[in-house]
Amino acid sequence: MSQLLWNGLFVGSFYALVALGYSMVYGIIKLLNFAHGDIYMLGAFTGFAVLTLGGGLVSSLGFLALLVVLVVAMLATGVFGLVLEQVAYRPLRNAPRLSVLITAVGASFAIEYGMRLVAGPNPQVYPVRLGGQAVEVLGARLTLQQVGLVLIAVVLMAGLQWLVMGTSTGRAMRAISMDPKASLYMGINVNKVISRTFFLGSALAGAAGVMAGAYYGKIDFLMGFIIGLKAFTAAVIGGIGNIKGAMLGGLALGMLESFGTAWLGGQWRDVFAFGFLILFLTVRPTGILGERVTERV
Amino acid sequence: MTHPARRRRRFAALAGLASAALLASGCSGGLLSGGDSSSGSGPIRLGMVAPMSGSSAAIGPYMRNGAQLAVDEINSKGGVNGRQLALKVEDGACDPKTATAAANKLVTDDIAISVGGYCSGATLPTLPLFNKADIPMLIPAANSNDLVDQHLPNVFLINGTGTQQADTAVAWMKKVGAKRVSLMDDNTSYSKNIADLTAQLLSQGTPTLAGRQSVTPGESDYSANVNAVISQHPDFVYWTGYYQEGGLIIRQLRQAGYTGDIMVADGSVDQKLIDIAGGSNADGVFATMTQTPQTIPGAKQWISDYKAKFGSEPGPYSTQAYDAVRVAAEAIKDAGSTDGTKVEKALEGIDGFQLFSGPLKFTPDHTLSEGGFQILVVDGGKFKLKDAMTQ
Amino acid sequence: MRATAGDTSQDGRPRRRLPGNRSLAGLGILVAVLAPFVDASDYALSVMTSALLFVMLAAGLNIVVGYCGLLDLGYAAFFAIGAYTSGILATRLHWPLLATVPVVIAAAVLAGIVIGGPTLRLRSDYLAIVTLGFGEIIRITATNLSITGGPSGIYGIPGLDVFGVDLSGPVGFYYACVAIVALAVLAAARLGRSRIGRAWRFVREDEDAAEAMGIHTYKVKLAAYIAGAIWGGLAGILFGAQLTAISPQSFTFLQSALILMAVVLGGMGSTPGIVVGAVFVSVLPELLRGAADYRFFLFGVLLIVVMIFRPQGVWPSRAAERLTGRGRSGTSEEPEGALQ
Repeated sequence: MSQLLWNGLFVGSFYALVALGYSMVYGIIKLLNFAHGDIYMLGAFTGFAVLTLGGGLVSSLGFLALLVVLVVAMLATGVFGLVLEQVAYRPLRNAPRLSVLITAVGASFAIEYGMRLVAGPNPQVYPVRLGGQAVEVLGARLTLQQVGLVLIAVVLMAGLQWLVMGTSTGRAMRAISMDPKASLYMGINVNKVISRTFFLGSALAGAAGVMAGAYYGKIDFLMGFIIGLKAFTAAVIGGIGNIKGAMLGGLALGMLESFGTAWLGGQWRDVFAFGFLILFLTVRPTGILGERVTERV
Repeated sequence: MTHPARRRRRFAALAGLASAALLASGCSGGLLSGGDSSSGSGPIRLGMVAPMSGSSAAIGPYMRNGAQLAVDEINSKGGVNGRQLALKVEDGACDPKTATAAANKLVTDDIAISVGGYCSGATLPTLPLFNKADIPMLIPAANSNDLVDQHLPNVFLINGTGTQQADTAVAWMKKVGAKRVSLMDDNTSYSKNIADLTAQLLSQGTPTLAGRQSVTPGESDYSANVNAVISQHPDFVYWTGYYQEGGLIIRQLRQAGYTGDIMVADGSVDQKLIDIAGGSNADGVFATMTQTPQTIPGAKQWISDYKAKFGSEPGPYSTQAYDAVRVAAEAIKDAGSTDGTKVEKALEGIDGFQLFSGPLKFTPDHTLSEGGFQILVVDGGKFKLKDAMTQ
Repeated sequence: MRATAGDTSQDGRPRRRLPGNRSLAGLGILVAVLAPFVDASDYALSVMTSALLFVMLAAGLNIVVGYCGLLDLGYAAFFAIGAYTSGILATRLHWPLLATVPVVIAAAVLAGIVIGGPTLRLRSDYLAIVTLGFGEIIRITATNLSITGGPSGIYGIPGLDVFGVDLSGPVGFYYACVAIVALAVLAAARLGRSRIGRAWRFVREDEDAAEAMGIHTYKVKLAAYIAGAIWGGLAGILFGAQLTAISPQSFTFLQSALILMAVVLGGMGSTPGIVVGAVFVSVLPELLRGAADYRFFLFGVLLIVVMIFRPQGVWPSRAAERLTGRGRSGTSEEPEGALQ
């Protein structure tokens, strides 16, 4: 039981990190950014490239070096996200919402198969691995490295929460999410704030990518596809556009999957998770933390 | 400007585009021009449908390279019946619709024989297409029983069948004294087929079936699945999927404290499995595998030829694709023509042609009479032959 | 359809009515009928038949997304239900395909009600995830059950046979598809111009106002959903007949996303638009086969480029063009989903 909880928590923290970017972007420009999972993949490959170039120097330093790689990958994916927004999404700012969805799917294809051109279709193996000895805590086996990764995730999420709630950029982001036009009239540089949002969301996904690469060890060009769907699901469970909701949603999805596998077997896991999601939404139509509002499309 | 005019212009553009698209898609003549497929001169075309995109994109290049190696070797020795061979590879993406289009493209390109087929689900709809066009198929990878159940005269499997692999797997479990076996598959037809057949055998006595578990391919975290397997208390785990997930599962089984035996099926026999599992995690892992150049003494040359040509190690189904081309060439030579029916007759008549997996003879079902499955073991970070299982 | 009877265009001039659309439809059908005279190879016919089926799917999804404004990310589920229902009946019980049509329609309607019933009250993005989940549930269930043939699916589905006329050959089947798909597209367009079609558009433009005007929005939305399900299910029958075999890989989320792409790329709510969009999305990857490894990379880039140059879709409906004049509808005044 405690093992199931721990597994769910661990997987869920990855989902939460990726779901955050989804939810932030949605909150600001109401875009379902289908390329977001692929930013996670880019993060993993950036980390891989840095570690491979760094060679033995990096691998001897272990966990600490990984933190450096993490920051580099976050910067790289952050900038990529920012550029992606300017190239593929900004020109469509005034188009119907679904048009941007199409460029997002297009961007997803381009990133995935662009990476396939660069790195080949074969999975790559991370040069640094976070293995470690397992210890038993309250009946659950976990490793120090796992705890470390969860802590990094918590720190990143706490940092984001502070950024959004406690800084002027964050205030501007919240203002735009409520009313972009009024924000413009109030002197907020909407484009700049949207760029920053993409930077932050993409950086978090990139961090999750490096962490997944270092922990699981295998990366490939399609690794972002499934997690992108999962993150979307998590963001919706939590109440899309809501940052705390995305974190909660990620954990909830991790738990659902962990228990679904234990109760019904792996082949029915997703049916269980999605079935639960549908039932949950019929009872609570705006997710865990979303607010009930009347819709005007 | 009036709207109708604009509309008409758009329209003309559209019609133009449509016809341009049609023209571009390979003009072999319209309905009125009649058949013009002329064979008998030029190179003999071999076609291959293999996944180059999508979730199985890693496998396609292995198959293409293996086949290309055989084509080049045969061509450098003068070809077949005085004609050179040419390989045409089309992406099937493991998707029935894409694979059907690919197969149709190959039929339109007038191939003499097909040497592709990886995902059973995507290969099934291509069978009647090739059958109708009288094109023999030597399927190197897909091995679902559904492929031969229709008893189409043009369909031949040159990969060991799931039944043969399951037999060898269970024989080995008995040999090492396993008591409780857990089966893990990835819910694709190849993987599930082997797991189903193994489960059938296990239901007949010792070792017993401790439980089964299916994973979703393409993910990273299988700890929930691994957890469920461990709670079945097995002393032997058999993974019947591919190496990408297999490496992760081995690693996560070991991390979760599982100390019993692990065995993987032939789709997992790849150096990457050991790399992904990491460190010494894969040491002692068994595998059911047809003979590979890695385990055949004296076949080192083949590996170095492959590496010299493509700059990478051969992978899953490289050898089967290589063999498929060689068998195709042999049959065309025996038949003395590329006529489909004659080639099929010649294929049925082949006896003792040496493949990597052993001497070739087809059963009446058009499967291999000898699967040639052996047991490999990971030793010092490499797959090595453990037991030839010749009884 | 582009012109809604009695509607007026932006500058107040009366809209051209049906004749334009009629000649458009005629030309579209003419192109489809004449295409095999340009290239009748098996490959060209299979690509064109697939494109036709894709047009039919897009026409069905257009009812849900384009007319009624409901975002559906799991449309492939209805396609799967049609293909599997008719496939199982045809292979296990040896029914002729034509006889499976009523059963498929019943199954599609039932599925539409089961999934639409409890969820259509949800906000659009929540509806999107629910439909996505539904699509995945259908696909995974088909993979896990033995009656659907598990992961390798069903094979040996017979070709189309209409009252003794064998249409299973590539040419015959292509022309059968031209006829059926043309009917389906025109019927969908007709539905869009009907009374219920106007209700759909009203709900799309302003649900609250529609409700206030006495439209039972829930029933209207459910009707759109069921209509979309029927179109998808019928396309599924043709899909099975074309490929002779179906398997779960045909009904992934990616498939749903591609159908949605066809609708949006062409121009939501516009019949000529979605036809162009569906042909584009379905034929382009085949045309790009020559690009080998660059194929899907180019596909992605082209999608972005097309959308940047035609943000309203390649051939938008007049309604959508009007909307741009006013700016993006609604989004600026949506308070829900604010960052917290």
